[in-house]
Amino acid sequence: MGKRRQRLRLVGLALAVAMVAAACGGGDEGGGAPAAPAAAKGGVLRTATTDFGFTNGFDVTGEYLGSAFTMYGALVRTLVTYKHIAGPPGNVLYGDLATEVPQPTDNGLTYTYKLKPNVKFAPPLDRAVTSKDIAYAFQRINTQPLAAQYAVYYIGLIEGLDGKAKSAATPVSGIQTPDDQTIVFKLTRASGDFNYRLAMPATGAIPEEVAKCHTKAGDYGRFLIASGPYMIQGSDQLDVSSCDAQKPISGFDPSKKLYLVRNPNYDQSTDTTRTNYVDGIKFDIDTNLDDIFNKVQAGSLDSSFTDDAPPTVLQKYATDATLKNQIHSNNGDRTWYITMNWATPPFDDLNVRKAVNQVMDKQGMLQAWGGTVAGDIATHIMPPDVVGGKLGADYNPYASEGNRGDEAKAKEFMKQSKYDTDKDGVCDAAACSNLVMINRNVAPWTNMEPVVVSSLEKIGIKVKARELASSAAYTTIQTVKNMVPIALNAGWGKDYPDASSFAVPLFMKDAIIPTGNTNYALLGLDQAKAGELGIKFPAGVQVPNVDTDINACQELTEADQRNTCFADLDKKLMEQAAPWVPYLWNKVVVITNPSVTKYEFDQFSTEMSITEMAVSNKETMS
Amino acid sequence: MWRYIVRRLIWVVVVVLIITAFTFFIFFVMPPTDPAVQFAGKNPTPEQIAEVRRQFGLDKPVWQQYGLFLKNVFTGDEYGWPGLGFSFVTRSPVKDQLFDRVWVTISLAIGAAVVWLAIGIPIGIISAVRRGSLLDRGTMLGALFFVSAPVFWLGLMALWLFWYKLHISPGTGYVPISQSFGGWLSHMIMPWVVLALLYAAFYARMTRGNLIETMGQDYIRTARVKGLPERTVILKHGVRASLTPVVTLIGLDLGALLGGAVITETIFNLQGIGQWAVNSVFQGDLPAVLAVTVVVALAVTLMNLIVDVVYAYLDPRVRYT
Repeated sequence: MGKRRQRLRLVGLALAVAMVAAACGGGDEGGGAPAAPAAAKGGVLRTATTDFGFTNGFDVTGEYLGSAFTMYGALVRTLVTYKHIAGPPGNVLYGDLATEVPQPTDNGLTYTYKLKPNVKFAPPLDRAVTSKDIAYAFQRINTQPLAAQYAVYYIGLIEGLDGKAKSAATPVSGIQTPDDQTIVFKLTRASGDFNYRLAMPATGAIPEEVAKCHTKAGDYGRFLIASGPYMIQGSDQLDVSSCDAQKPISGFDPSKKLYLVRNPNYDQSTDTTRTNYVDGIKFDIDTNLDDIFNKVQAGSLDSSFTDDAPPTVLQKYATDATLKNQIHSNNGDRTWYITMNWATPPFDDLNVRKAVNQVMDKQGMLQAWGGTVAGDIATHIMPPDVVGGKLGADYNPYASEGNRGDEAKAKEFMKQSKYDTDKDGVCDAAACSNLVMINRNVAPWTNMEPVVVSSLEKIGIKVKARELASSAAYTTIQTVKNMVPIALNAGWGKDYPDASSFAVPLFMKDAIIPTGNTNYALLGLDQAKAGELGIKFPAGVQVPNVDTDINACQELTEADQRNTCFADLDKKLMEQAAPWVPYLWNKVVVITNPSVTKYEFDQFSTEMSITEMAVSNKETMS
Repeated sequence: MWRYIVRRLIWVVVVVLIITAFTFFIFFVMPPTDPAVQFAGKNPTPEQIAEVRRQFGLDKPVWQQYGLFLKNVFTGDEYGWPGLGFSFVTRSPVKDQLFDRVWVTISLAIGAAVVWLAIGIPIGIISAVRRGSLLDRGTMLGALFFVSAPVFWLGLMALWLFWYKLHISPGTGYVPISQSFGGWLSHMIMPWVVLALLYAAFYARMTRGNLIETMGQDYIRTARVKGLPERTVILKHGVRASLTPVVTLIGLDLGALLGGAVITETIFNLQGIGQWAVNSVFQGDLPAVLAVTVVVALAVTLMNLIVDVVYAYLDPRVRYT
């Protein structure tokens, strides 16, 4: 009997082992790698950056940084907004504070928005957002001392908004608030992109009782009261009893951190555009770039943020099969380009500009950026998504084999130029030598420089690169009197998904201003304008002017028509003005840890979408 | 001696004034980083730029701006004393940022100094006493290595080994001592050691050389002949005399470090004044640049004064009037 019992025990043990083995083995050929957990609510999204780089102290009225826009997407509700997701679906507008995206009336001159009831500010205010809070946001945009950095989108468009008010208490005559749930905008002219302009963070609800205490540009950033699903940690402790009592919110230190926690007054039922998976988001400053990516890989951070991964890190992730799905690459809706000044020889000759476009080794420039992971070669000015796909990379007016540049074709253009006196296709005029080329003093711009210099030399243009820190480089080319002939440092990203955010500031005559200028090519420059700017107008030159084309596109209200119109403008610019050599449509690359169970990209801000990402860590915001 | 100290303190003020004046005027002739244009954003109107310039105080003549800066430093401004204005970049009072960061740099500099003195001087003494031995050769080879190895490389290697691979160190960042002594200590050990290794190597070699030279002096021979224990001969007579150049160097090195060890601060994400100074220069943040200049100038000049006083104490032949 004893031996039988022993045999039975052994059989039972064998069966148990077999069952356990079967349970562990799974059904996969490769064996038991556990499936990624599904996206669930909870946890804290932890990320870091080497520098916030805020342009206006995170004051929502003036702040003009893409990464700040992604933060505002969680903090500030605007009348209309996007779904903070990737691709073309991320460029569609929905009502946020407003019940819907309205159509204009009165021949496109009036926009009326009805606000959702019961959308509340975060503590300590605890009150409903009203139409007056939106109107106050525009009053701040209109206030000169507050330096609203994209006020140009509203000045002169909304009646009574001229950007010259001395105080934010001054109402704007073209904005009416007949009741707490209604706001009406009266425009001076039709503008088919007006709803997009109302999705910009500066137009979001701002409580006057708090913001009135902050009368200098950039001051309100450390006192921001949220209306969105998240608030700055510690903002509920803000003493709003008086201006003197207000102390900077503890969760935001511009040189160290920005921590967001859930807004207890947020009502998800009022919001169809945000999911809000995580309980909190931690943005920390880490001055060591390698350390950030090491921490992502080690798991003490969930993702990188705005910093470009070093090439070695990119290579590691791109070539390691276990890491490949942690690298996320999305269209950045930005064009990097070489700009050429129409007022300085030899770039006052369209044939020279075409020759430069034709000869440029764009493939070499892309390699300097790190290859295809950095983006796609730009063949025209506006990224395809910005013109709704109406003009893709297949339109390439200066095509060449492998995008390496075509020296022979470039020389054909140069032969037609007045600067090639012997018509050998190489510039022999003095104007083609010793040209200053402004560049940034960091990679990848320094890596690109030899490629650009050698490409230009093929057609006889000899440049001397002057490398500056990024801000200094921009200031230099933005000061018209410097008459910088050619610059390598510039890029432009959309402000909203409408091509007017490229066309208007970059190519209109009125956009040329003495300092802070962004129409680097000086399109539209004429004798009178040159006189105003105090620069010499090149004799015998007809600088192209596309104002009429842009205005015609601006009047269209239907998206498809606008995209077609701006796509045609892009072609005209490339063929008849050649303001730039566009070379890259960048991709935004973010690296995550497996703790990120759902990654999402915000096509509006072109950064990661913090309201749509989920993590598996169980951290809490202490 | 007191007259000497008072005279030197007056010179400290003069030196700081001259340095800040130079910094102020250089700022306005540097390559074009116009903070007003930067801050006014894309497509600013001339009126917007002018308004920002007015808010930043950049619309006044340069000499008037400097005068106002000096007045505020001594009497304070709307943000308190000393009056260092507000940062063009972070829009927060420079004074708050400075006090926040200077403790990080002080922690780093003093901690590293303690470590390098604790390592470098004993090694130098032992090497000198056992000159030519395997220990001497080994330590001097090690010293040569650490003198040659770049700090950024040492820092990255230390992080990779002790944090990333072995999980011994908590990694980068700074924990204020008021928040947690243990956290502060654990985060500072690696930066201290990395920074100290370079200096320890140098001090070991210097102490060894000085001590060897000193031990060859007649009075050392006399002390031995008189029957003093060898330990007393070395430590009381030899080391004391050979350390006077070391004292001078400590003062200079510590003064320089109090200006911020930029590379170490960056590698270990210690937000001290060195790294802040570099960023402020690139961003054209004049108030921050001036604040750091004042601190660094004060640190270096005061440390030099302290060194000179200590020198007089150590070497009775030195007397100041």
